[in-house]
Amino acid sequence: MTWLAGRVGQAIITAVVAVILAFFVMRAAPGDPLARLGDEHPLSPRQMETLRARYGLDQPLTTQFTSFLSGAVRGDFGTSIEYGRPVTGLIIQRLPASLLLGGTVLLITFALGSWLGALQAVRSGGRTEQAIGVLSLAAYATPSFWLGLVLAWLVGIVWRVLPAAGMHDPLLPSDATFGTRAVDVLRHLILPAVTLAAVNIGATMRHQRSAMLHALREPYVQAARARGLTEPRVRWHHAFRNALFPVVTLFGLWLPLVVAGSVFVEKVFAWPGLGALAADAVSARDYPLLMGITVLVSLMVVGGALVADAAYALLDPRVRRA
Amino acid sequence: MRQLRSTITFALCMAACAPLDAQAPAGTIVIVTGEQATLPVPTLIEGAANTRANQELADQLFLRLAVRKPGHATTDEAGYEPQLARSWSRRDSVTLVFDLDPRARWQDGVPVTARDVIFTFRRARDPAISPSLADLLRYVADVSAEGNQRIVVRFTRAYGEQFFDATYYVQPLPAHLLEGMQSDGIAPSPFSRAPVGDGPYRWVRSVPGESVELAAVPDFFLGRPGLARVIFRTATDPAARMNLLLSGEADAMAAVVPPLDNRARLEKSGDFRLVTTPSDLLGYFLFNLRASGDSTRPHPILGDVRVRRAITLALDRQAMSQSVFGPYSKVPFGPVSQLLWLGNVSPRARPQSVAQSRALLRDAGWRDSDADGTLDRNGVPLEVSIIVPSSSLMRHQLSVIAQEQLRQVGVKLDVLVLERPVWQERFVGGRFDLSFGAMRQVPTPSGLTDSWTCKGASNVSHYCDPIVDSLLAAAIVSQGNPTATFVQALRLMENDAAATFLYAPLEVIAVHRRYEHVELRDGSPWLMLWRWNVRRGQELPRDRVTR
Repeated sequence: MTWLAGRVGQAIITAVVAVILAFFVMRAAPGDPLARLGDEHPLSPRQMETLRARYGLDQPLTTQFTSFLSGAVRGDFGTSIEYGRPVTGLIIQRLPASLLLGGTVLLITFALGSWLGALQAVRSGGRTEQAIGVLSLAAYATPSFWLGLVLAWLVGIVWRVLPAAGMHDPLLPSDATFGTRAVDVLRHLILPAVTLAAVNIGATMRHQRSAMLHALREPYVQAARARGLTEPRVRWHHAFRNALFPVVTLFGLWLPLVVAGSVFVEKVFAWPGLGALAADAVSARDYPLLMGITVLVSLMVVGGALVADAAYALLDPRVRRA
Repeated sequence: MRQLRSTITFALCMAACAPLDAQAPAGTIVIVTGEQATLPVPTLIEGAANTRANQELADQLFLRLAVRKPGHATTDEAGYEPQLARSWSRRDSVTLVFDLDPRARWQDGVPVTARDVIFTFRRARDPAISPSLADLLRYVADVSAEGNQRIVVRFTRAYGEQFFDATYYVQPLPAHLLEGMQSDGIAPSPFSRAPVGDGPYRWVRSVPGESVELAAVPDFFLGRPGLARVIFRTATDPAARMNLLLSGEADAMAAVVPPLDNRARLEKSGDFRLVTTPSDLLGYFLFNLRASGDSTRPHPILGDVRVRRAITLALDRQAMSQSVFGPYSKVPFGPVSQLLWLGNVSPRARPQSVAQSRALLRDAGWRDSDADGTLDRNGVPLEVSIIVPSSSLMRHQLSVIAQEQLRQVGVKLDVLVLERPVWQERFVGGRFDLSFGAMRQVPTPSGLTDSWTCKGASNVSHYCDPIVDSLLAAAIVSQGNPTATFVQALRLMENDAAATFLYAPLEVIAVHRRYEHVELRDGSPWLMLWRWNVRRGQELPRDRVTR
């Protein structure tokens, strides 16, 4: 229990430091969030002053920071400069899309990646291992936006079997059943999820393969064989379970991917998630929106690490005693 | 039994073969756009909300008193067609009278009255609510009502664009729904999330980050809309927008070109035709006439008009423009986009002349004394930089072409590609030699005063020619034909080389071939969407919707 409390304390401190750093680094970066507003329809200095006051950008940095902190504690990150709407509302609107895409990708990446990695280790030296290895490395080396464009062109435009972009069919009637809506979202999900999973699965497979090869050489595996257990039971029940530890760590570190790890793919497939929103916020220097997303991602990063630590400790009691 | 079967078959056939207009409005259009409308409410389309998406959606929901017919000058009062106002007349040189169409209704059934118009003008003229609009309406002295249906607009002075000012900028809002609210209470209110308008289409729903759906108002007083459903679908990535068109998930898209190869892709698909309309876009190299970052000193190189002219003459602007827009662009004479009627009457831009460019630079004292290919004077090389936003690949490519062409005359141009907010900050702060600007213009030449007069609010380059100021002022207040005066001002601007004006493109719009009566309006292509309809026999499954 003390171990867990210590880890949680560390996580909170890490998140707070990350958010403070993000606040000041963002403001130190060149670029005025209001300059964009005068790009195509130039604004007069008086209009700029009015807008600066509206968003509190005329206040000293310390006042802005105090104001941000007091709002953040209440879950209020202010109003987005770009969208003119509350940041919290914008994040809540986009979060489900990100969770769905990121969650699906994480599931595919780890479920399939772990299995394929283990299979490679088991079939070490054979053609299966070579084929899987080449394919996974090729996918790993492929830029996600390029793969996304190719898939959208091939599947969406040439074959027309899946939608090329978006998350919902806007033509679906508003009284469509839940089942119809679910199928619609699934159809839209396939291409972006496959794109991201294909690119990410290679790393999981490499880790899993390496851990499994290591596990297969461990004495307890030899002992299990000596006890007369069948080979599949030795491989999957004994070796595989123990070889999952490194992948669990990887899972925790990749958890933030669920929220905002797919900027390019979200753009290519017009997926209305937080990644694309974050990219737009960066290019517009939309401080309130950027800070809102930064806080969320920071929490996900430290939360992911915490989950990984906890899972590791749960699986291996030696960690708790360390 | 056989007779009954025949009767049923006949009835079914009749139902299936019935003319569309018996069931109209029917049909759908999915328009794919680069951004989603977030606040399509007149008087709130300001600052960050001043987006094309908001204005295009507002144009479907809210009417103006009158709209300009294609090809007519903003000063031509006979060149407008009625919308909310059934008729109008001029009382004197500073007073216009509009009579509202008594058939006009808000979508909740309440009649549109003078109260709505006056309420909206009051909001539009309040600098605390709508600073930009208030500035544009600075010559409107008073808006009052004479009864329920008559509006009287008085101006502070006589000038040619009174009618344009009275009708273009203000789209009346429903006073009966909004009058009780605080002036800043409309933006966060439920009204902004589902506006109630008086236009041909009403709000149905919005899916954040994805789409906005509108439905036809069947009893729209100007005529029944031909399309039952309009969907604005958002994809911020240009490739995703094209994919939606080519995959058959969308029916129309503006800003198809550039890139130019989009044209070939759409032509190959065979489902779309490309339609053009004048664009409000203007691309130019802006010369900073003051030292970069120090507006008290003239620019050491670009302060000399001969150098600016030489740079302009060294560039093959026609070829540059064509390389990006193909046949859909021209080199403008002065700061005039194709949306401005002035573009139709202004002279042609001067073609490239490397010999004249070299002569001008020689005349200004620039020589290549160290034979390094770059001219110099008193030990100072003829080297300037241009700032370009990284978000625009097109502007980057054109800058590189210009770099090579200027090298031919001994000018070294450094291309600085900056992240957009950094580029904007340096542009607004005057920290540049040249800046590659791309401006969207309002449809009136009176908007030129903003950037190209000595005291223009957006004149970041410090270009100042008092004669240009006088000519523009005279043209704007002219009650006769101001064309000659405007053109004279443009000639001076060209002569002063206030900027190198590179391209004034056409808006290239892809429209699915199944639509007929396609009418696109300058600056607001979808304004007359309610007159479009789907050709009989060419309906897609998504067109089988009636409301």
